[in-house]
Amino acid sequence: MANSQPIISMYDQPMWESIRAHGWKLQQCDDCSSFRYPPAPNCPHCLSMSSTWKALSGKGKIISWVIFHKQYFDNFPTPYNSVAVQLDEGPIVISNLVGEEPQGSWIGREVEICYGEDSAIGTVPKVRLSK
Amino acid sequence: MTTARNLSKVGAVIGVGQSDYVSDHARVLAGDKPHDSYGYAAIAFNKALADAGIERDEIDGLIVGPTIAYERTGEILGINPRWGSQADAMLAVIEACMAIQTGMAEVVALVYGNDQRSAAIQYGGPEAMGGNMFLSYVYHAPWGFTSQGALYAMMFRRFMEVTGCTEAQLGEVAVAQRLAASLNPHALMRKTITIEQYMASRYICEPLHLFDYCLINDGGVALIIAEAGRAKKMAEKAATRKKPVLVHGVGRYDLNRGATSLEPRLLDFYRPAQEACAEQVFNMAGVEHKDIDAVQIYDSFSCHVPLALEGYGYCRSGDVGRFMQEDGISLKGKLPVNTGGGHLSETYMQGWNHQVEAVRQVRGECGARQVEDCRFVHYNSDVAGKAVSIIYGT
Repeated sequence: MANSQPIISMYDQPMWESIRAHGWKLQQCDDCSSFRYPPAPNCPHCLSMSSTWKALSGKGKIISWVIFHKQYFDNFPTPYNSVAVQLDEGPIVISNLVGEEPQGSWIGREVEICYGEDSAIGTVPKVRLSK
Repeated sequence: MTTARNLSKVGAVIGVGQSDYVSDHARVLAGDKPHDSYGYAAIAFNKALADAGIERDEIDGLIVGPTIAYERTGEILGINPRWGSQADAMLAVIEACMAIQTGMAEVVALVYGNDQRSAAIQYGGPEAMGGNMFLSYVYHAPWGFTSQGALYAMMFRRFMEVTGCTEAQLGEVAVAQRLAASLNPHALMRKTITIEQYMASRYICEPLHLFDYCLINDGGVALIIAEAGRAKKMAEKAATRKKPVLVHGVGRYDLNRGATSLEPRLLDFYRPAQEACAEQVFNMAGVEHKDIDAVQIYDSFSCHVPLALEGYGYCRSGDVGRFMQEDGISLKGKLPVNTGGGHLSETYMQGWNHQVEAVRQVRGECGARQVEDCRFVHYNSDVAGKAVSIIYGT
């Protein structure tokens, strides 16, 4: 087994810098205002090459979740969850829910971004239930 | 939408072949390595050639599966084709028909081999990490989310929420396919299971259980597809030859927008692609759902089945849980699905074994698992953004 590592293309680097600074930013298209995830050379909606890195509001909703019972990575002992969160800005991101877990269905629960430290990766954005 | 130009009854499958999944698997589990991917491909090719009853030199087209190199496979099989390509199972069938229709080839060999078990290929975890150029889900590695199973577990969790389908209803897939496998001498897992056993099996990535995951084994599959007119003449000339199985229709529609952030999966369950694909394939084949005698569905994970049954219109939207439980998808049910046991119980040959099963069902060669009066078999797959459909028939 080994540790999991992020895929960092040249477009991802500014995003991970913003995550390390605890202020997750994504590219917002200068022409159509849509947010881009994963970071990319152009806007998939209008193909504009022009964008500005903007801090996320930090809010979103869970749209699905899973619990891993098989271990794939040293830095992810089981059981652990992964959640799909639709950010208020539009994109869907995969994250881990930390802290209190909802009873019953997690879908539709409001979450906010927080930051965790992974021994192998460094700072990683996570989510927790909104108060 | 635009209508695909007609590929109906352009190509016919005249031969199928496969390696011995069962004995090779036993040898691999015992620590042996019977063949590599090329070896399995060669075995399957030779059997398909014998099944077709043609000489190797009649072949003028070659399509090779994604696991082996095109040029090297051609070299090993000694084929200099007029036309060649590399493609997965479903696209290989479509490309063969396209090559035949355009006159680029007349008799096309489709060849696949994979030593995934003996080579200890992992489809999740650290070894999947090199896949970022073509498998977008490894992008989520910082959150421990890289396996294919997790992707489908995430999709199915939301599907359950939206439709009310339950885990026990999903279990109908594993139970039905194990029943089919129990009647298939080529199947690796032949002991039937119950819903209770399914529910008691451990989770791998919850909500998916062990029995929702495909097998990982070594093997090879080959098909030979000939221009339909020539196939008919070949069969008439040698009365001992098997009846050609026609490709009546094909369809394809892909969803790539938002792929890495799982939008087409989580928000649409690939439904728009499946509907577009269904429209193409049924229109081209000129048949309706009621004419389909058996369905084969690419099932790397069991949940492909309910998603496809709704997406391709075999039941009403939101009704698939009840459909699987009450109407039934086993050989004893209303709509037999994955009649050989599929990837869950027969063999994981990345969709290739489903083509062979479809052909054999239409030929009436399936023995104890034969669907009565089987005239049309519909194959479909929804993998990595691509929705592909094929209707085989008499």
